[in-house]
Amino acid sequence: MLEYITRRLGLMVPTAFLVTVAVFLLIHLTPGDPATVILAESYTPEAGAQIHKDLGLDKPLPEQYLLYVGRLFHGDLGRSVRNKLPVTQAIGERLSATLELGFAALIWSLLIAIPLGTVAALRRGRALDVVASGLTVAGISVPNFVLGILLILFFGLLLRVLPVGGFVALGESVPDNLSRLIMPALALGTFGTASNMRFTRSSMIEVLNQDYIRTARAKGAGWWQVVNRHALKNALIPVVTIVGLQVGAILEGALVTETVFGWPGVGKLAVESIFSKDFPVVQGIVLLSALSFMFANLLVDLVYAWLDPRISYS
Amino acid sequence: MRRAGILLLFALILSACGGGGGGTSTAPAGTPKTGGTLKIAQETEINTLDPNTSGLLVEREIYYNLYDSLLGIDAKLNFIPELATAWKYTDDKTLVLSLRKDVKFQDGTGFNADAVKFNLDRYMTSTDPAAARKSDLASVQSVEVQDPATVVIHLKRADATLLAAFVDRAGMMLSPTAVQQLGIKVAQTPLQAGSGPFEFVEWKRDDHLTLKRNPDYWRKDKAGRQLPYLDQLIYRPLIDLNAILASLKTADVDMARTVAGKDVEAVRSDSTLVYKDTPGLGYQGFELNVSAPPFNDPAKTKAVALAVDRAQILKNVVFNNGVLSYGPIPPASWAADPSEKIYDKPDPEKAKATATGFSFTLKTANTQDSIQTGQLIQAQLAKAGITVNLLPEDFAKLTLETRVQHQFDAALTGWSGRIDPDGNMFAFWHTGGSFNDGRYSKPQVDQLLEQARTTTDQAKRKQIYQEAQRIIVGDGVYVFTHHLNVAQISTKKVQNFMLIPDGINRLAEVWKS
Repeated sequence: MLEYITRRLGLMVPTAFLVTVAVFLLIHLTPGDPATVILAESYTPEAGAQIHKDLGLDKPLPEQYLLYVGRLFHGDLGRSVRNKLPVTQAIGERLSATLELGFAALIWSLLIAIPLGTVAALRRGRALDVVASGLTVAGISVPNFVLGILLILFFGLLLRVLPVGGFVALGESVPDNLSRLIMPALALGTFGTASNMRFTRSSMIEVLNQDYIRTARAKGAGWWQVVNRHALKNALIPVVTIVGLQVGAILEGALVTETVFGWPGVGKLAVESIFSKDFPVVQGIVLLSALSFMFANLLVDLVYAWLDPRISYS
Repeated sequence: MRRAGILLLFALILSACGGGGGGTSTAPAGTPKTGGTLKIAQETEINTLDPNTSGLLVEREIYYNLYDSLLGIDAKLNFIPELATAWKYTDDKTLVLSLRKDVKFQDGTGFNADAVKFNLDRYMTSTDPAAARKSDLASVQSVEVQDPATVVIHLKRADATLLAAFVDRAGMMLSPTAVQQLGIKVAQTPLQAGSGPFEFVEWKRDDHLTLKRNPDYWRKDKAGRQLPYLDQLIYRPLIDLNAILASLKTADVDMARTVAGKDVEAVRSDSTLVYKDTPGLGYQGFELNVSAPPFNDPAKTKAVALAVDRAQILKNVVFNNGVLSYGPIPPASWAADPSEKIYDKPDPEKAKATATGFSFTLKTANTQDSIQTGQLIQAQLAKAGITVNLLPEDFAKLTLETRVQHQFDAALTGWSGRIDPDGNMFAFWHTGGSFNDGRYSKPQVDQLLEQARTTTDQAKRKQIYQEAQRIIVGDGVYVFTHHLNVAQISTKKVQNFMLIPDGINRLAEVWKS
């Protein structure tokens, strides 16, 4: 097991290396000049050239890349060109907000999806199944920013029961934090809710048709025990894969959701950094996203073994 | 005496401008109330709190409440005393400033002539690549402390624009002690560095920036009450205009500078909100690259200028939240002449007779308003037989191609505007100017713009600028379409707000009912 984890962690190094090459090339090949953004209305050609020199942009691209990777090995992601803060600090300051939102979105998607998917599978073809399936189609079809705007319109402007955006730290006020968390978490998590519910349902249907379920029932095991102990645990394996992939989707969705709700997380930082050509911050965020995606996948593989003891990594 | 004459002339010009000049204010309802927090939405996040490296309009929003400038302006753009009580040119190259003696910085140190010298020297000698005040103070040779309350500024050349620079960031004074102690942190956490009505508390980037009341602020209101009235200001960056409007409607913020053009009518008729606007100092339109074909042919630039329907753009894109533009001088300026209207109504037939049957690429930012403006121009010029190929681009790419590489036929760009006409003209149309994207060069214009810089008589400057404007507009090197309004939108609770054409919220005298 330990050997497996070590091997997987070792494989992350070349993957992360490829990510840095891709990100570096993409951001440097997109047209635009950070100097014009930094200087804005104070731009002069001389000041622009000075900024290029200071940021090392006057050097050839391969040299810039080597310097970047060299700094990475020392844990230095560089400094924001917008406000000169270390990238690690810029991301660190916002990470907790994104983690809170991502976690809430994931909880929302699982809390609704698993029971609903299970019930829909047990009541296959009945009214409840049709309604739940219909809702999930809607949930998958509506992009999270549209849902975000609809939530703002309904709960924020029409009913006025929730604040329309912004952020208050948990440490400052728990109720204020939670009231501002609800809508972005719903907007971000609903796509996951829908797809998780569908996977749980189809997986449950498949498992419920297995021989061992019939055997368990024949042996006189209670209905609830069969569903909970025999069916659900086995049905959840594909769901876990999907949830692992959703970590990536949540980071991606956070870009839009955080912007719509003014939630000061990494997603909003990424959007602002892209617009202002703040390439060190963009590189840092993409690298962080890639790493979290890889760790999420590793975690998924480890959870498999726990769910199904027949899967072994030793 | 001369200054009094200039101010009188100023007032006459402004009154002649009708509704064009001056700001609007909410009539205060009853006695000002002290205390409370004002939450302000900002349409973008700021980069720095150090005036030395500032390049964004939204940064000035905060600075004017945190720092004091040497000079102020009133709603009619007249210079008024701030940290300097009087200013006088003893000759063309010597400016004497008399300073207030009762001002303390928030760290308890006194404001005096040494502080002025420290700040101006810091701006002029900064080695930071983003140092932006150097060019504002390019005409300054040296700063001399005559006595604690008098500063003499020696100039390399006469510079009539310097007073306007002292209203803006080049005139903002920070505590020398605080600046030295904070070092580079002054850009992020300028604790007790200003002398303004509010002092810095905290800045959580992309979330909020908090300022609190400066209890020792030197200004009092007309009834002798201590300013400011408010306890706290919280600025929140909300980059989505729909989010700004939603936050205003639910009173999650009290005030904002902008909502989407399409929403203005609804906001005006919303009984819970107050909408005020006045024409701003900037201009909108598109620039033509006269250093390369097709626009190195003057007939073609003129044909384009003749065929554009400005009123249609103003109505359809910005929903008439602005006024038509006939040149770079904004209507609120003392240098404006409302009777000057070259290329007023569109005349496609005359355009056709001037030049037709050519095509060019119009680059725009990839925002909805810019693309829509480009589409209107495309349709308008088609009537004159001119083909426009639209190319929407990322803003950073557009700036690179126009400002740095000069690779464009035409580009839709605008300017936020400055108090002095020089700031709206010199860098754009003087040969080699830093914003002269289209490489326009005309010795006569160069000479006029230089002359205006060295002329201190305002009546004479007005004549010079108008002549320069006539040539620039006539040449069609930039097709001016409109001056956007600056606005202030607030909930009904916000009282005693004065809107100035520079569009910046000064909040010392604002209170909440």
